[in-house]
Amino acid sequence: MRAVDIFIQQILNGLSIASVITLIAIGVTLIFGLTGIINFAHGEFLMIGGIVTWLAVSAGLGFPLAVVLAILAVGLMGYILERGLFRFTLERPTNGFIVSLGLIVVLQHVVVLFWNPNQKSIPRPLTTVWEVGGVRIASVRVMVIAITIAVVALSFRMITASRYGRALRASVEDRDTAALMGIPVRRYITGVFVLGSALAGLGGALLIALFPITPFTGGTMVMKGFAVALIGGLGNIYGAVAAGLILGIVEGFSAGYGFSQWTDAYSFALMILVLIVRPHGLFGGTSGPRMAS
Amino acid sequence: MKDGLHQDRAGSTFKALRSLLPVLVILALIALVPLFSPSNRFLSLAISAGINVIALYGLSVLFGQTGILSMGHAALVGVGAYAAAILARDFGVGFWAALPAAALASAAFAMIVGIPSLRVGGHHFVIMTFAFGQLLAIVLTNGGDYTGAATGLDLAGPVTLFGADMSDLTRYYLMVVAFVTAAAVASWAIINSSYGRTLRAIRENEKLAASLGINVGRHKIGAFVVSGVFAGISGVLLAYFLGHISPSQFSSFPSIYLALMVMIGGARLIEGPLAGGILVAFLPEVLNLDPVQSRIVYGVCLIAVIMLLPDGLIGGIVRALRAVLSGKPKQETEQRNAAEARR
Repeated sequence: MRAVDIFIQQILNGLSIASVITLIAIGVTLIFGLTGIINFAHGEFLMIGGIVTWLAVSAGLGFPLAVVLAILAVGLMGYILERGLFRFTLERPTNGFIVSLGLIVVLQHVVVLFWNPNQKSIPRPLTTVWEVGGVRIASVRVMVIAITIAVVALSFRMITASRYGRALRASVEDRDTAALMGIPVRRYITGVFVLGSALAGLGGALLIALFPITPFTGGTMVMKGFAVALIGGLGNIYGAVAAGLILGIVEGFSAGYGFSQWTDAYSFALMILVLIVRPHGLFGGTSGPRMAS
Repeated sequence: MKDGLHQDRAGSTFKALRSLLPVLVILALIALVPLFSPSNRFLSLAISAGINVIALYGLSVLFGQTGILSMGHAALVGVGAYAAAILARDFGVGFWAALPAAALASAAFAMIVGIPSLRVGGHHFVIMTFAFGQLLAIVLTNGGDYTGAATGLDLAGPVTLFGADMSDLTRYYLMVVAFVTAAAVASWAIINSSYGRTLRAIRENEKLAASLGINVGRHKIGAFVVSGVFAGISGVLLAYFLGHISPSQFSSFPSIYLALMVMIGGARLIEGPLAGGILVAFLPEVLNLDPVQSRIVYGVCLIAVIMLLPDGLIGGIVRALRAVLSGKPKQETEQRNAAEARR
């Protein structure tokens, strides 16, 4: 294999992982932008999405149906948690953050309790490997990237072009004024939780198509999602997507050039560096909702 | 205003001493436990709980007094533990000399983490501490022979005090109780000093504190460094107790459990860390739960405490008792809030 082939392949590998991370980061960034709540349990939402996919595929359902089930199940979970827990912590986002820490512990171990802590995997939904020049391209990775691009494009379209999107952006910008303009901000908060959770569910389904997952996969993934959201600027969706690309390429490179044991360190190091140099992220974000105080 | 403070001082010192008394009584009772010849399992659990409690007292200064939460606290404990293990291996440094060295190492690490983390402030601090915690675990895992990689390091030094071997479980237990007492007294002294008042001013209103000439950034880092000292000492005790340490013990998820303990106990009261550490350690024993179930219970407890009893379990119980005793819950709450602001 030529050096350039390895190079292209590593970028592709990096991008497929970056896709999953970007899906988490969008949810993280939207929820933070609107509520100020740092939801660390978002990685567990992703993990549950993967587990639902695994259960569905194990039960004999096809992968596409399993993905839909994962999205619905995790979206529903997001709805229940927002209505049952997070809406009571809107006035004190730090409490919301601590609640999410409790949720991490609960969700992880409920999964361990019912389905043991071992790795879970499904047969690859697409097994074709294309050979282009000297580059071997696994179609499943291309599928993950394509689905992510489609979903992200759709979210962009919704957020930039529809009136709901405009109302959402207004609420992120200034919750109180948006409410005065007659925007039902509370309902948007619920909506964003459901949307963010559904994206995490999709991310989990795509992740298990690439790698085996364990009940503890969420921990590292959410940190990467956060790193990306922070690097891009919390509350800034464009930033999250751009930062996701950067991280994916950096991780791909490092895996391809012999520093794979440090792969996990990059997101953290990059995030710390960005926060020190530009506390509002590379592309600027809101610093959370302005609290009525 | 200043005169008022001075007149108040004698009275408040007495009150402050009274607030320390229950903890000292409880600790004295705990020190008597070996008389009832407890099982080794009980002593081991109690020692682990005590070691956590020492770190929790540091965390209570940071979170309870200053109002900033560290999600990387296990990393600070880890720095202390690794410092003790590496000093013992490379320089033959024993337990007592390792204590100040490890405390210093953890404090220095806290400062290295604290300066950039607190600069970004607010929400981001929590995430930064979490990220530094993860980074430390990765660095320790990739540290090769120096840090023992993923398997970690062994530590086989005896702990002696005035020539007596302290490695025996009962003696180690008593020593940990003594350390917990020292940690409680130190934390109490900080709470009741003018330094503690400064930290609380920052907690209550950062901008107002800054406008009074308090250097908010420096004091926040200071509080983090102080909590690092507690964590370092706790790390040395842990390393010598277990005889073996590995990176996974100090990654970010142990940090979540530390934060959970301090939340369950309540960070602002002097009884809080003690209660949190003991409850979390012994709850699974009492309820006869396996580790998985007990963690679910912890998580649910944490959520319940945050939603229903923001002062922590002990704070909630104290408030409920006072409300029942006086029969005037509303007035009590107001008084309590006033007392809280002073504390």
